[in-house]
Parts: sequence; structure tokens; C-alpha cells
Amino acid sequence: MQKFFFNKKLVITLVALIVSFLLITFSIVVRNNRSTPTIIQQIGNEAFGLVDRLVSYPVAAVTSVGSNVSDLLNTYNENKKLKQQVDSLASQKVENQTLEKENKQLKQQLKLNKSLTNYTKITAYVLSRSPSTWENQIVISKGSLSGVTKNSAVVSNKGLVGRVVEVNKSNSKVELITTQNDSSDRFAVQLEVNGEVINGLITDYNSKKNLLVMGQITSKTKIKKNTKVITSGMGGNTPKGLLVGTVASTADDDDGLATKVYIKPAADLTDLSVVTVAKRTD
Amino acid sequence: MKNYNMRYYFPIGLLIFIFLDGSLSNVFAREFFTGGISIESLLVLLWLVMAIFYGEVDRLMLWAFVAGLIFDMYYTGILGIYMIIFPLVVYLNRQVCRFFTSSFLVVLLIYLIDLTLVSALAFLANSLIGLANISLADFFVADLGPTLAYNLAWFAILYIPIKNFFEKFS
Repeated sequence: MQKFFFNKKLVITLVALIVSFLLITFSIVVRNNRSTPTIIQQIGNEAFGLVDRLVSYPVAAVTSVGSNVSDLLNTYNENKKLKQQVDSLASQKVENQTLEKENKQLKQQLKLNKSLTNYTKITAYVLSRSPSTWENQIVISKGSLSGVTKNSAVVSNKGLVGRVVEVNKSNSKVELITTQNDSSDRFAVQLEVNGEVINGLITDYNSKKNLLVMGQITSKTKIKKNTKVITSGMGGNTPKGLLVGTVASTADDDDGLATKVYIKPAADLTDLSVVTVAKRTD
Repeated sequence: MKNYNMRYYFPIGLLIFIFLDGSLSNVFAREFFTGGISIESLLVLLWLVMAIFYGEVDRLMLWAFVAGLIFDMYYTGILGIYMIIFPLVVYLNRQVCRFFTSSFLVVLLIYLIDLTLVSALAFLANSLIGLANISLADFFVADLGPTLAYNLAWFAILYIPIKNFFEKFS
């Protein structure tokens, strides 16, 4: 017995394991409950963020040269397609402006200053992505100094990307919607079929088919393919009306009671260079 | 006489490789994280293992700990996973390396075992806290296999440059 306790290697191993478990628990508690990480972590992240900028800049530069070459090759075909779209865009823009103006006036008449669709935009670029397989996280270049708050939704130029899980002074971490994390917050989403609004939650992600799974649906209405799915603004942190994706297929849930809807994400979650933090203003 | 420049070069290389991992994961995210497979870039481990076999670096365990800490803090936000795994791997490698004469094949095989160990322990830790919820069989096929292939490819490319670097400066 005496000898057991004086075995130095064993003691060190055990202490290391216990410290490791304590730290893991501690960090999960911090992540779930506090709006910012502890001060030591923040200082570290600040410093590493600076070094990361130095390293990621040349990598980004090399990549952009590569993509420029392939862009050049595609330009002719793309130009042809885009020309057709430009004509319709102009008229749509004018229509949008009038509608926006009208919306504003109507809100004023109702004395409704803030609604679920109001949000401020903070644009940031993506510094790097977590190499760990189990964390679908990216690090972005804006933090609490620019007004980023925890749990804000993050969108790319095409659609919803994820939510902010950790805010430092000048960088923050974003958990992508493709996360497998059991305890992460879910996005409340909705879709509209013939005027009826169907609510649900993003509950899972199928990595083999690259499809999001929308569950917790109570309605039995038949849902058509390619219906647009948007965030519903319920749950408090996400603004309403951010595009999540389009319906790819539907299936019965495992217990047969509810429907599962498979959604093709609108945003390309593997090609992120610039993202926008959508911070709700109400 | 010992070359003291290593004191500065080693940490700089360590930082470059850590952040290169993140940048490469971001740039090649389409290749790394889609189609049911996932590749974990662990260039920092290559740097540590090469330092054991070819470099004379003081306090390597401490540097492995620091590398793990940065990995945890900056990339995942969950402390205590790589922070323990990296020093463990360095310790085991040190125990093993005196039985072998360093050569390309020997270091390759030991690096292969290291990679397997790191991936498996990280999978274990993450499945305990509910982040990794795939079966063991899926882990071997979808995660470990591609990760080994990717990292060994980097090993083949970087073996000679890093070896020359360490032999020149230490």
C-alpha cells in the first residue's frame, strides 16, 4: 500500500487526469452559463488571435490567387448568366425599396418601433476553423469591442451559418449549424405551406448527405419540396427571416408521430471567408 | 557547442504550425468536412515528434503542454483535452525513441501510432462530454482513416525540410 502511493508516475498520471476532467467540466460550465470566458482565457485568445492573423493572411493570399485563376476561366459563362439576372434585379430593388418604406410607415403608424425582423449587422472575416473533428467551430475577427454578443445568429451571404458561442474582445467563436453537440442551443425555424405557418426546430445534421434535420413539428400538412425555411425569431436571440435553406425531403419521425423535414442549407458551410453577425435589436 | 537559437526557433515553428492547422482547415473545409468524412489537421504533432527525434529542445513536455493549451483555448474553448494528450504523446515517444535509430521509416511508423493515439483519445474525451456521437466503427472509417492519410502525406512532404532544420540548428 505504501509503495502504491509513492509510485511517482502513477500519482502524476492520476493528478493529470483529475485536473483534465475538472478543466473540461469547468470550461463547459463557463461556455453554457457565462457571456464571456474567464479573463485568463480572454487574454490568451486575444494574443493568439493576433498571431493567427499573421499566419492566416499569407494562406488566404495564396488561396485567393488560386481561386482568381479558376474564376478567370469561368468568367465568360458566368457573365452570360449574370447579364440575364441583372435586368430583373433592378426592378426588384426598386420594389424592395418601396416596400421597405411602406413597412416603415406602417410600423410608425402602429407605434411598433421594434419587431422580430430588426437586427444590426456586424461584418467579420473568418480567421480559421477548428481543426478538431468534433467541434464545428470557426473563429471570426470581431469581438465585444465591435458589439458582438453571445448567442447572436451568424449568416453568410447566402444564409444562416451558426451562432456565437464565445466572445472575446477582438475575436469570437461561432458554432456552425452542422454541429453534433447535444447540448447546444437549437434554432427555431418555420416554413409556410399555402398560408399555414409550420414551426419547428433544427434538431440534427446528417453529415453524409449534408442535410439539416428539422424536427419537433406538430402539423401534419404535406410539405412540398423546395419550400424555403427561415428562422422564426422565437426563442429570443435570433432575428426573424434569416434564410436557413430549402426543403429536400420529408420523412416520418422515429416514433411516427411527428414529421422530420430534411433541409438543404442555403449557406455553403465549407466555404466561409466573410460572415455577418446578426444581432437582434429588440 | 550547443546552438541556443533553437530556444527561439522552436516556439516560433510551434505557433506557425498550430495556426497553419486552423487556416488549412478553413481553406480546405470542403475537402476536410464533407461527404461523411472528417480530416483533422495535426501538423503541430509533426513538429513535436520531429523535435523529439532530430532536435535538442529543452523542456519539450512543457512546450507540448503549451501547444495543447493553445489548441484547446483558441480552437475549441474546452480546456483539458489536447492539453493532456500532447504531453502524454511526447512522454511516450521519448520513452520509445531510445530503442530506435531515427530514420524515415521508423519515424513514419511511430508518427502513425501517435496520430492514432491522439485521434482515439480525443474521440474518447469528446464522446464523454457529448460532442462526438458516432459509433466506434464510424470513427475508424470516417475519421481516423482520412486523418492518417492526410497527415502522413504532410509527413512525407515535410520530413526532409524539418529534419534538416533541426539538424542544422541543434
